[in-house]
Amino acid sequence: MSDKQQVYIRRRIEAVAGLLVLGLLLLVVRAVDLQWVQSDRLTTMAEKQRYREYTALAPRGSIYDSKGRTLAESVEIPSIAAMADEVPAERMGELASALGLSTKTVQHKLGKRKGFVWLARQVPPSVAERVMALNIPGVRHEKEWRRYQPMGPETGHLLGFVGIDGKGLEGVERAWNASLTGESGLRQVRRDARGHSLPDGTWLREPVPGQPMTLTIDATIQSIAYAALAEGVRDQDAKGGSVVVMRPKDGAILAMASWPGFNPNNFRHAKPGEWRNRAVTDVFEPGSTMKPFSVATAMASGKWKADSIVYCEKGAMKVADYTIHDDHPEGWLDLTGIIVKSSNIGVAKLALDVGAAPLHAMLERAGFGRRSSLGLGGESPGIVLPLDRWGPVETANIAFGQGIAVTPLQLAAAFSVLANEGVYVAPKLFADQLQDVEKTSERVMPQDIAHQMKGMLEYATSQDGTGSKAVPVGYHVAGKTGTAQKANAQGGYSKGRYNAVFAGFAPVENPELVIVVVVDEPKRSNYGGQVAAPVFRHVAESALPYLGIMAERDQQPDWQTMQIAAEAPAFEHESLYGMSMREVRRLAAQRGLRLHVHGSGWVGRQKPGNIMALNQGDAVEVWLNE
Amino acid sequence: MMATWLRPWLLVPVAVGVLAAGQIWMSHLRYELALENQRVNTDRQETLQQSSTLRLELANLTRPERLRKTAQEKLGMAPPKPMQVVHL
Repeated sequence: MSDKQQVYIRRRIEAVAGLLVLGLLLLVVRAVDLQWVQSDRLTTMAEKQRYREYTALAPRGSIYDSKGRTLAESVEIPSIAAMADEVPAERMGELASALGLSTKTVQHKLGKRKGFVWLARQVPPSVAERVMALNIPGVRHEKEWRRYQPMGPETGHLLGFVGIDGKGLEGVERAWNASLTGESGLRQVRRDARGHSLPDGTWLREPVPGQPMTLTIDATIQSIAYAALAEGVRDQDAKGGSVVVMRPKDGAILAMASWPGFNPNNFRHAKPGEWRNRAVTDVFEPGSTMKPFSVATAMASGKWKADSIVYCEKGAMKVADYTIHDDHPEGWLDLTGIIVKSSNIGVAKLALDVGAAPLHAMLERAGFGRRSSLGLGGESPGIVLPLDRWGPVETANIAFGQGIAVTPLQLAAAFSVLANEGVYVAPKLFADQLQDVEKTSERVMPQDIAHQMKGMLEYATSQDGTGSKAVPVGYHVAGKTGTAQKANAQGGYSKGRYNAVFAGFAPVENPELVIVVVVDEPKRSNYGGQVAAPVFRHVAESALPYLGIMAERDQQPDWQTMQIAAEAPAFEHESLYGMSMREVRRLAAQRGLRLHVHGSGWVGRQKPGNIMALNQGDAVEVWLNE
Repeated sequence: MMATWLRPWLLVPVAVGVLAAGQIWMSHLRYELALENQRVNTDRQETLQQSSTLRLELANLTRPERLRKTAQEKLGMAPPKPMQVVHL
């Protein structure tokens, strides 16, 4: 081989080697490009092919009553969705028929966009099975959580409701949406070559169910309150109403019902105005139910005692250029008489005497004019005028419950002050708040004054009082009726539109329930004693035995037994005959006797005949005549 | 006497083969266990779901308003007066 040929061959080898090296270099460059430069993008693309991630919705926390009964629960139910561009047009009719929709509706839904669309959400499982059996390309079966409230309208206003996307829209569901809502989870599954999911999926984030909640509500008492309110509203052909039942000792709200009701499981069928929880959102003028606080203020001033007498001007009194009237004109009345006869003039005189500041302070301490921090949205603080706007007319009016607006919840909390011997305990809706009773308690009035007020309010529910219809047989009730004209849009009072109110507690000896009943615009009667008191009685006579508080058999006339003296006579007065009502009340208060009075004038008859045998806390009944 | 074809280097492919078979078996076992785990989890979810539905059904069937209506309309009962209630 010549040198020339050898050179030629070497050149060829060098050229091929060069090409090989170049090729290798290019491969290295490409490898660096793929493995290094484009690594993240390509890894993501590969993982997208191999893995699939899906969101698992977590259920909302359940809501229970104080005895662990379910008030709201989420259950998983099917929904039907579709990838709009994958559904064959010729099968839309079939799909629509299985869904129970018109073909036009399904076409409209699928025509809205190309990707994922909901066809029917939260459908019965039978419908979902029927649709999926058709095996239509692009149609998917999804799972969603739906909220159910088994008590329906009875708890509708209190619990509110949840929208289709699982968000609380009213009531407890809305106010506590953040803690009730669960955290959705993210699950990653591997897919095989055919796109089927492999079973070895992993949770990237586990779903966390929402926090369960236990309320202080008792489902049985809630149901009793709702039924009693419904009956009371229907009987009176009223516009609406609300009831609050509270345990005064710890402020637990046992029931909170409003009328008209609506079914929270189907809330769209009710008008938005019917969704509101009237017990916390609606304010009303409390009328005569404010009088116990005015009288307590007068007594707390030290100027007035329970047996002090006030001249009630025979039914009309002028304050500045304004005339105050009493429905039943009265002359001289003691403070108990003012409460029992519900004299506007009597309380107005007391309030004007002690001045605006003490009454304003008493109302503020009793919880009026501020929100209770119950934990419900939309709660109204009520309306209490600032002190600098209290002239004589305002002071007189507010003393008998006009020119002030309160919520039923505020009134219940305020009456719990009287039931608790002068201590305000903030109302509570959640069981876990009940441990903090001490922190949320505050003395509003001296114990002895609250005790005397209790006695006066018991007289107010006697046969002579306005609240006699509130008393269930076998129990002692302390309470006050109220009848207030509703305000009109012009700032005055509307004619013929009233709120009838009864607020009270039972049993008087050891109050277990504070009940406030408000009936809005009753048609047959305007008076709290005729309209709201029977609702109170209905609730009390069902709820008290349910709570294990026995009726006293000696309150039943048929079963009345004669008291037999077992101890030495405790009193110097052998008989009450010939005494005036005021003297009898003073004597009963001194001796700690429970007095039941019938009629007016002087005592003509008493029961038992021998009062010397009576001990503190025993009952004595007197009949008076002119 | 050791067979003539047995050589120490043969241990390497044998070990590789055994390890590979072990790996395949482990992978199969993992798949089977994952499948079983998925089944158990599905059962658990279904049981929880069923329990939730039953709890709801129980709450619905025992709601005071329904019991009251049934007692009054089907059984002719009436709510007791306080004096008729005795706690033992």
